[in-house]
Amino acid sequence: MLGYATRKLLISVVVLFFATLVAFLLVATVDPIAEQRVFLLSQPGGAEQVQRLEASLGLDKPLMERYGSWLGDMFTGDMGTSTDNGRAVTTLLGEAIPVTLRLVIAATVISVILGVAVGVVSAMRQYGKFDNISTFFAFLFFAMPVFWLGALLKDLGIRFNDWWGRRIFFTIGEQSPRLDADFWGTWADRAGHIILPALTLIAIQLAATSRFQRSAMLDVLESDYIRTARAKGVPRRRVITHHALRNALLPVVSYTGLTFGTLIGGTVVTEVVFNWKGMGRLFLESLLNGDVAVTQGWLLAVGISVIIVNLLTDLTYGFLDPRVRDG
Amino acid sequence: MTSPANPKAEVPVLSVQDLEVVFPTPDGDVQAVRGVSWDIYEGEVLAIAGESGSGKSVSVMAALGLLPPSAQVSGSISYRGQDVTAMADKELEKLRGSAISMVFQDPMTSLNPVMTVGAQIAEGVRVHQRTKMAIARSKAVELLHLVGIPNASQRVDSYPHELSGGMRQRAMIAMAIANDPDLLIADEPTTALDVTIQAQVLDVLERAREAAGSALVVITHDLGVVARTAHRLLVMYAGRIAETGMADNVFERPAHPYTAGLLGAIPRLDAPKGTRLMPIDGTPPSMLAPPPGCAFAPRCPRATEICSQETPELRPIGTQLTACHHAEDQYGEAEDV
Repeated sequence: MLGYATRKLLISVVVLFFATLVAFLLVATVDPIAEQRVFLLSQPGGAEQVQRLEASLGLDKPLMERYGSWLGDMFTGDMGTSTDNGRAVTTLLGEAIPVTLRLVIAATVISVILGVAVGVVSAMRQYGKFDNISTFFAFLFFAMPVFWLGALLKDLGIRFNDWWGRRIFFTIGEQSPRLDADFWGTWADRAGHIILPALTLIAIQLAATSRFQRSAMLDVLESDYIRTARAKGVPRRRVITHHALRNALLPVVSYTGLTFGTLIGGTVVTEVVFNWKGMGRLFLESLLNGDVAVTQGWLLAVGISVIIVNLLTDLTYGFLDPRVRDG
Repeated sequence: MTSPANPKAEVPVLSVQDLEVVFPTPDGDVQAVRGVSWDIYEGEVLAIAGESGSGKSVSVMAALGLLPPSAQVSGSISYRGQDVTAMADKELEKLRGSAISMVFQDPMTSLNPVMTVGAQIAEGVRVHQRTKMAIARSKAVELLHLVGIPNASQRVDSYPHELSGGMRQRAMIAMAIANDPDLLIADEPTTALDVTIQAQVLDVLERAREAAGSALVVITHDLGVVARTAHRLLVMYAGRIAETGMADNVFERPAHPYTAGLLGAIPRLDAPKGTRLMPIDGTPPSMLAPPPGCAFAPRCPRATEICSQETPELRPIGTQLTACHHAEDQYGEAEDV
């Protein structure tokens, strides 16, 4: 297991290197002063001004040299400052990441647990009432765009609040502004805010996870070693928990890791729908403002998180499956 | 039925009477087993032979309640006089792996890939006997040693993928005899193995049977596999019994053309030089709509008009029971050879 973990860790480092390259090039190959350039060059003496502008931004140096110094800065923790508001990119990320993390972790944990449970029960009573109902909802949510489901839930939440006469579901922001509450009060307020956006992400993740778990479970239940376990006299419940589930979790583990990137995409949309001040909004604003340092920093941060999640996925997989561990 | 090998045992360990198994499919009902009866007595070795699809595996799976829920089973299967088909799941679970246990065909897929072989054997022990984990584990080591796995105390912690096919099948056998079953069923135990280790695994199976003191049913399509060990032989064709009797007698003088055909298709070292193997022409019938009369008639060199009209009943021919209209001719010819 240790050798396997080391190998996976080394691969992650290589992938991280390429991630930095992509994060840099994606942004650096776009001309950040395209508009000024056109304007200045139409003016007398504009060419010199363009040169000065390029020099001040470091654009006059070759691309790879710029990458080198950018990478060096990243290593020392200097991610630059926002051209929009002058704040350090690390500070901006530091504020946005915990907000988004709350949403992503809540959605992932709940959708995986529910997805596994729904999938297993569906598989054990294939084409039963529960299976048919869960299949219907899985396809419904799977087919729904995130922003639409988010908007629907937001609308439903507001109607519910009106009907109840009290605000249960918060539909704007990740917590109430100027909140003055103790520790528990703060978390209660945050919980009220997280329900609807988390539901949005859960519904879509759950749809895929439960279908995956269902088919994996059906495959495993047909397998010879399940028949062997039954032939040994292992009680039905134990056959499911000890023999079938552990094998049927493998595809779901890799699926969860693989779709983490998609989940981040869904989070960006959800945050915008519910006006959260998280990574989604940070990214959107940096793009709209042409805020190069923020965009690059954001891409790098998300890239690193995807790499970490995939590493965790690999380690979980290795823990569950001895064949992978040794291979 | 033929007389038991052990006449002292009056109640058979397992008795199958008029067993019929039907699998409904979208294309129609597959009649996998069409009225089969046999008994096995204590300490006996019974071989059930036949081609794929002849219903030999299905009839023993039914005995353990291991058929898919869609299977329609009729007739009776009783273990020491108790009707297995009427048992509740809980009772069946107690029977499986302790009184009756099974070795499956493919050791590559029949072991759980994410559990060590030791854990899988120990689980079988602990499901039926309330022992501590440590005791079950040492029992697993003991069993692995018994089936001839070298370094059993280390191999107990191996995962199935770390063992060769022959070693895995030995582990399967160890698992099957963990609770000293009365009846051991081996479903094509050597089919998935290399020819070179088939004989070894058969030896292990025989040794394990003796150690556990159980009766053994070996299911096979390869008569060579059972030639040495079986006391009695039961030949199945298209879901019915074609012929049954003491193994030596049936080998010596088959009274059913199908049995004769199977024997003719086995390569023998003691055959005179230049002897050709005689394959059986054609393929087994579809069990969706088995032909009327004798199911073997379309492939049978002795078939006459009556064969495709009347289903032959099992009747005594010489020392065995044979379901063939022309059994006397076949039996008589075998004598001349």
